[in-house]
Amino acid sequence: MTDVVLENVGKTYPNGYHAIPSVDLSIEEGEFIVLVGPSGCGKSTLLRMVAGLESISEGELRIRGERMNEKEPAERDIAMVFQNYALYPHMTVYANMAYGLKNRGVPKNQIEEKVTHVADMLGLTELLQRKPGQLSGGQRQRVAMGRAMVRDPKVFLFDEPLSNLDAKLRVQMRVEIRQLQRKLGTTTLYVTHDQVEAMTLADRLVVLNKGKAEQIGTPMDIYNQPATPFVAAFIGSPSMNLIDANVTEQGVKISDAVTLPLSHEHRGEVVWGIRPEHLVVCDEKNADFALRIQAVESLGAETLIHGVIDEKSGKNEPMVVRLAGPHLPDINSLIWLTAPVQHWHLFDAKTQQRL
Amino acid sequence: MTVTFPQKGLPWLLLLPQLLVTAIFFLWPAEQALEQAFYQEDAFGLSREFVGLENFIDLFTDPLYYQSMLTTLLFSFSVAIFGMSAALLLAVMADRVIRGKLAYQTLLIWPYAVAPALAGVLWWILFDPSMGPIALWLESAGVDWNHYLNGNQAMILVVIASTWKQISYNFLFFLAGLQAVPRSLIEAASIDGASPFKRFWTIVFPLLSPTTFFLLVVNLVYAFFETFGVIDATTKGGPGQSTTTLVYKVFEDGFIGLDLGGSAAQSVVLMGIVGLMTVIQFRFIERKVQYS
Amino acid sequence: MIENRPWLTVVSHATLMIGIALVALPVWMALVASTHPASAFGVGHIPLWFGDAGVDTWKTVLFEKAGNGIDTPVFFMMLNSLVMALGITFGKIAISLLSAYAIVFFRFPFRNLCFWIIFMTLMLPVEVRIVPTYEVIANLNLLNSYTGLTLPLIASATATFLFRQCFLSIPGELVEAARIDGAGPFRFFFDILLPLSRTNIAALFVILFIYGWNQYLWPLLITTDDAYYTLVMSIKRMLSVTDGDIAWNQIMATTLLAMLPPVAVVIGMQKLFVKGLVDSEK
Repeated sequence: MTDVVLENVGKTYPNGYHAIPSVDLSIEEGEFIVLVGPSGCGKSTLLRMVAGLESISEGELRIRGERMNEKEPAERDIAMVFQNYALYPHMTVYANMAYGLKNRGVPKNQIEEKVTHVADMLGLTELLQRKPGQLSGGQRQRVAMGRAMVRDPKVFLFDEPLSNLDAKLRVQMRVEIRQLQRKLGTTTLYVTHDQVEAMTLADRLVVLNKGKAEQIGTPMDIYNQPATPFVAAFIGSPSMNLIDANVTEQGVKISDAVTLPLSHEHRGEVVWGIRPEHLVVCDEKNADFALRIQAVESLGAETLIHGVIDEKSGKNEPMVVRLAGPHLPDINSLIWLTAPVQHWHLFDAKTQQRL
Repeated sequence: MTVTFPQKGLPWLLLLPQLLVTAIFFLWPAEQALEQAFYQEDAFGLSREFVGLENFIDLFTDPLYYQSMLTTLLFSFSVAIFGMSAALLLAVMADRVIRGKLAYQTLLIWPYAVAPALAGVLWWILFDPSMGPIALWLESAGVDWNHYLNGNQAMILVVIASTWKQISYNFLFFLAGLQAVPRSLIEAASIDGASPFKRFWTIVFPLLSPTTFFLLVVNLVYAFFETFGVIDATTKGGPGQSTTTLVYKVFEDGFIGLDLGGSAAQSVVLMGIVGLMTVIQFRFIERKVQYS
Repeated sequence: MIENRPWLTVVSHATLMIGIALVALPVWMALVASTHPASAFGVGHIPLWFGDAGVDTWKTVLFEKAGNGIDTPVFFMMLNSLVMALGITFGKIAISLLSAYAIVFFRFPFRNLCFWIIFMTLMLPVEVRIVPTYEVIANLNLLNSYTGLTLPLIASATATFLFRQCFLSIPGELVEAARIDGAGPFRFFFDILLPLSRTNIAALFVILFIYGWNQYLWPLLITTDDAYYTLVMSIKRMLSVTDGDIAWNQIMATTLLAMLPPVAVVIGMQKLFVKGLVDSEK
């Protein structure tokens, strides 16, 4: 059953700034959708429009078939977890969690039952009488989630909820959020700029760029078949190597000296891409090109080699190679690489669309 | 960006009390003062006549008005400079001491709570020529003190009383300013070999200049308007005109002299001066916000 | 400080003590004066040490009559002062809270105009517009009334600014969270905004109480009935008795009693007072 529908939803500010041209998205019940993109791409604005904190200038938002555009945030049956948690500093943890229910006129004993239940689930029982100022960052994060959960809303909205936590806690909370969401089965819209968070949490990802949804799909779809060079560069770490190239009769010409053989009906300028993990080290005679090594980052389990190809023409196209395990090649030495054709990504340089 | 509530009528309801009080007790009187300034009224309030700018012309050709302006400037700057110097000295000392800082603060700030009129009365009596101990000490030191007759002495008296009350305010702000000076700067200066005295004049005092400027404006505003009580409870502007400040003159001409037109014209001039001072103050505050 | 210079520390303490002594001098003298009989004055000097008439004088002015032409006791005038001070304080806080709330949390036409109108009241102390304001009060028949004493003084921009500043510092996310939690404008005001502004309100209360208690010119003008005399202004009336008949001991006792409540507030709530003073100048 479709739960949340965004139909041509757009945002124009009173000063005429067209922040979001038009987004179409329909979300199934229980789905975990992550909105991801660089800062300023409009992902938070979109989330806030769903929440009712920003007005919707164009299009329609429906939750369970009902038009929501004109509804107050409180009437939309959504709950939100904020980046800075937004806990009421003068209320206890219990009062923070109970506030929304109290405002809705839920009887006292029911409130108590719900808050106790959720506090138990999140391990907050001991902290119910504390004030937010006495809690650690992770505990506050949990209370913010608890406040959202007690209401039993149709939709959870998360606005970069983990960005204020340290790296270790972030990983732990990420896993916890995913488990809780599975258990509760609540439709979720989650905003982040962190692609690792996006990949690990999402059922489906929406990659936003300048207010436009560049691609919507499962994390693996997006990794394997990025629709545009932007998506290709944004998803995956380290980023995909992207090189301006030309498709001719001979194949894909990525530089004056290097032409990779491929028969493709497309002619003209393209963006050619390959992920660092898909480049293969080989010997000179099977190689597609040579890489002059400039820097090596050894992480133990993997090694990232930064270098340039096509030195002769002076174009010095940068490229990153990712190898499993430890390697210690010399700086300034050459290594020989092949780019297996099944891992290529080709985009039309003009339309930026995948070929 | 602040989040707002969508209600349209409610904000007006919330603003209503403030706007009503402002309109009735501020806009209306201000408008009346403005209007009155262009009319001449007879002493019984029976008839009035439009006189154009005559009240203003009278005002600016009246040597007494200029004298009052000079008196006001002399008075205000004396209060500001004496009050700020004494407060700065005390604040620097209080910033130095480690023990008893709070006790010193407590014992220095309470005069803020004393009404200006009461401050005036206290000093008035200490200096009373026939029975005030200070006046008697002065007499035995060869100074003939009589603020009932000597205009300069009356001025000194109201300056002392007004300064006394304002020291606590200046002290608090200077102390806060001193405590905001980064310790590392002072440490750096002492490693560079600057003596405590030199450190103060080359590092601390320049860093205090925003506070100093702010206090200067506040003190001038205080001396202009809030010292009315000091003067009215003691010298009543006298002897002669020697302590008649501009604000006191508005009151004197309007309520005692019943020259309503002239008093209104003075009100209008004062409103202009207050406006100017407010603008200066806010300009400054904007800057302070930017740099802090 | 950084170097260990004992003599500097001694100088500091000495300067502070001299400062404190000078600041306290007039009050000390007044206290001494109030303990001598009226007859002790006019013989050449004010006595320098306590006399034995203190209890009588203080009792008389406090409970019987203040003297020097004022027949009401100080105690009664204290009540008037208290009514005026609290009226001004609560009035200012209430209307400023409401208007700051409207200006910060709502969008409506002429919002900026309203803000500027309120701002303009900053510019005009009562002392400047004294004659026309008096006429307005007279026209409204508010002379000799508590309403007349308080109402004209409760419009002030300072408090509105302070609350505006305070409200603007409340994180937007908190407001959003409250809205998602179903809090409308009223609930938000009472459940979130007021509790969060508690310290600011208390600090402002201290400053405004002092301001209200110390009003001088305004009550002097609009009260002619001694049922409405406030304490601070009555000193002036007491002083206007012809010179030879002034009972200085009573005036001194009354003066001290008049400064006692606000001074007690400053010392007792020093922290709030300092905060209020610093905040209201921002």
